[in-house]
Amino acid sequence: MLALRLARGAHPLVLTRRLLVAAAAAGVGFLLLCTLGYAVGHPERSSASVLRLLWCALPLAATVQFAVAVARTDPSTRPRPGLSAIGLGPARLTAIAAASTAVACALGSMVALLFYLHLRGDITGLPFDGAAADLLAADEPIPLAAALTLLAVLPVIAATAAGLALRPRTAPAEPEGAEKPMPSGLPWGIALVAVGLAVETYAGRSGAADGLPLPGRFDGNPAGVLAGWVLTAFGLAMAGPGITHGCGRLLQAARPGAVRLLAGRVLMDESRRIGRPLGVVSAVVSGILAAAALYDADTGSDAFGPLTGLGASLILACTTATLLTAALESKQGRAHTTEALLRIGAPPTVLRTAALMRAGALLAVFLPLTWLVAELAALPLTG
Amino acid sequence: MAPPDNDVLWARSLHCALSGSDALSGVSLGVREGEILALVGPRGSGKTTLMRCLSGQLLAQQGEVWFNSSPVHTLGPAERERLRRDRFGWIDPEPGLVPELTGWENTALPLLLRGVSHRAAKTAAQEWLERLDIGACARKRPHALTHSQRQRVAIARALVTTPSVLFADEPTATLHRADGAQVLRTLTAAARSHGITVLLATHDAEVAALADRTVALLDGRRVGTVPPASGAEGVAACSLSV
Repeated sequence: MLALRLARGAHPLVLTRRLLVAAAAAGVGFLLLCTLGYAVGHPERSSASVLRLLWCALPLAATVQFAVAVARTDPSTRPRPGLSAIGLGPARLTAIAAASTAVACALGSMVALLFYLHLRGDITGLPFDGAAADLLAADEPIPLAAALTLLAVLPVIAATAAGLALRPRTAPAEPEGAEKPMPSGLPWGIALVAVGLAVETYAGRSGAADGLPLPGRFDGNPAGVLAGWVLTAFGLAMAGPGITHGCGRLLQAARPGAVRLLAGRVLMDESRRIGRPLGVVSAVVSGILAAAALYDADTGSDAFGPLTGLGASLILACTTATLLTAALESKQGRAHTTEALLRIGAPPTVLRTAALMRAGALLAVFLPLTWLVAELAALPLTG
Repeated sequence: MAPPDNDVLWARSLHCALSGSDALSGVSLGVREGEILALVGPRGSGKTTLMRCLSGQLLAQQGEVWFNSSPVHTLGPAERERLRRDRFGWIDPEPGLVPELTGWENTALPLLLRGVSHRAAKTAAQEWLERLDIGACARKRPHALTHSQRQRVAIARALVTTPSVLFADEPTATLHRADGAQVLRTLTAAARSHGITVLLATHDAEVAALADRTVALLDGRRVGTVPPASGAEGVAACSLSV
């Protein structure tokens, strides 16, 4: 109840972030229910149904990542003097964070269920009644227990992940501004990207001219391509912090002025927080670019349906929103430093220029990288 | 009405309300060039508000502030910010250093913000750190320094631009007495040798003894003397009434 009461008084921006989580949860819930509808409608094609269910894991993971990022930036989950005065310490605040994440995700799941029933034609009185009745197997009764189980997956996983991410630590926190070692994932990330691309090329060559492995077209062969792509994505996510750290180091090198000094040092120190979601976004965008190139080459493919589009846009939106939320978290963490800088007379334009410079440096490095990985991934399959 | 010529900073009947309560009610003050002026008074007596009004961070609802015979209260926000950057220095009770920068980079930051070259800023910052006996801290980040070292870096940061007026808001409030006394001695010595005017807000009579002149504030007004705080107030009344 306290979680709800705190949510009621929250800032509109905070509420918007929670609503976005709910919307993402609704998308994932709808995808899961559609998988269920397919399985109910086609009992003979069980392996294709399982494959569809497995594909739902990607949007699910992206949504969980976003929900955790939102829980981390939520002001009501941070220790506050007002709440700690009445005995609400870090442990109870973790419970509140998990509860509010569960509430947002459950809200989304509920919307997904209503929308699904509406499209099936079970709920009438609105436009598009039963518009997708054939697709969703409206003639079969929906197994309620299965639907509820599928819908409960996201709230449970997201709440658990938020609780784990915000759990009270016993070790004392590292002092602010402590010099952090360079993130060690860069060599591993590059190696993984290389191995992934190699695996993909190898599998693409043996798999001849078969399209991307998507539901309905799965014949065992393109699994190598998929594995290669997953390895590449992992590699990019691992290399993200290291690349970000390198960007910061370059920015503050060679007799920097105030703007370059502030921009570079902050980027170096925030490389873990910003770099990982940035690497994930880069991996997702490169995957989508590669897939788009494949579909352009593979004319007449029927694998790209509306649900694939929904899943892909869900993944893209969630990872981008996670990146923006991480940037917000980093800004919140530096609020008192910004205040001290303003007090010694630093013009706000200097701080804004430093922030723009950080964003520009990251874009200048990650955009070509994403494009390169996408081209390399699509090359063996289209060529 | 123009201010007297020999006052570097001059305020007339400042009235300032902060979140509904009067922080300053009718304070007038003249600060002479090169002097160290102590503002004394208990917590909540309006010392910080007065210094923020004088340094142009805050606009009083009524009253005037003049700096070097030119009005501050009529300037726009950008001009007041430039004045603060170019002519004033500010020291908080907390050091307020940028955690990602090393000691000399923090000290050199005001110079870098003014567009001074990297090499000149570094030289000036290291000279000031040496002068304040913390030359060894130049390459360390703030988290690796002790509190008094951090506070001295903050003082070096305020002095590196050799401002006309230095505002020190309880600079030793969070330090132990020995550290605090040392920090204050270095601050006042550096200010006197460079002819910097210092406004020193404090609630401590010992600190105020280092100043040339003392102005006492109580409940947002200037008073002759601050009555001594009596910790045991009400003890007798309680024993009588129960």
